[in-house]
This record gives sequence, C-alpha cells and structure tokens, in this order.
Amino acid sequence: VFSTTVGVEGMTCGSCVQSIEQRIGTFSGVIHIKVSLELKNATIIFDQNKQSPDSLSLAIEDMGFESSLSE
Amino acid sequence: MTKHEFEVAMTCEGCSGAVTRILNKLGDEVKFEIDLPKKLVWIESEKDVEFLTETLKKCGKEVKYNGTK
Ligand SMILES: [Cu+2]
Ligand SMILES: [Cu+2]
Repeated sequence: VFSTTVGVEGMTCGSCVQSIEQRIGTFSGVIHIKVSLELKNATIIFDQNKQSPDSLSLAIEDMGFESSLSE
Repeated sequence: MTKHEFEVAMTCEGCSGAVTRILNKLGDEVKFEIDLPKKLVWIESEKDVEFLTETLKKCGKEVKYNGTK
C-alpha cells in the first residue's frame, strides 16, 4: 500500500472536492482519497498493483481538472 | 452537425471549467456552449448521444439528455 499526493488545479469549492473524492474513491485499487481545496492537491492511498501516481493523476485529468505529480 | 442539449448538474465554475476541459479534449469534432446558471450544455457533433453522455459524466456530475435542438 502506497500513498501519493498529486496537485489538482481548477477546483473552486467544496462540491468540486466532493465530486473528485466520490469518483476517484470508487476506482479499483483506491483505498482512501482526501482532496484539499486550499492546498490544491489530493492525497491518495492506493494498492500499487492496481494504481500508480501516474494513473491516478491521469484519472483526475480525465475528470477535467489539471493534475500534476508533485514529488 | 446535430445540436444536442444536455442537462449537467454543474454548481460552480469548477464544474463548468471541468466540462470545458473534457470537451476540449475531443478536439475539432465537437463544438459546444455552456450555460452554468441554467446547467445546460449544447454540443454540436456527429458523435452519438451515448458517447457524449459518457464523456460528460467524467466530470462526476449527473447528466441528462434533453434531445436535439
Ligand atoms: Cu466547485
Ligand atoms: Cu462545481
């Protein structure tokens, strides 16, 4: 089990945070996701056999938000 | 091209921005307009409604098809 923090741009309010947490949270291999509006990032705990920081960042991009790998 | 009307449960500029970016990724094959207060998205495209609905759903909001305009 790994944890990663990716940058998320384009959110404006709590409902943006919620839609990302809800959708990404249902992805296979995602154990927990916490999105921060202030820090403009998402911290995700995931199963490295099913997801990677890249795949998670791409999934957020796919939702229409800009995402970047911070580390 | 056919013009379709969709209702997308957008609540803020983050939502309409996300929808804009999602549709921009489809390139020249779609033209679109968004009305955030009315929660409406008009798309001009030859792609089928099912594809367009699935594409809009990527933003994580509820999507309803209203028919052609
Ligand atoms: Cu928002
Ligand atoms: Cu929103």
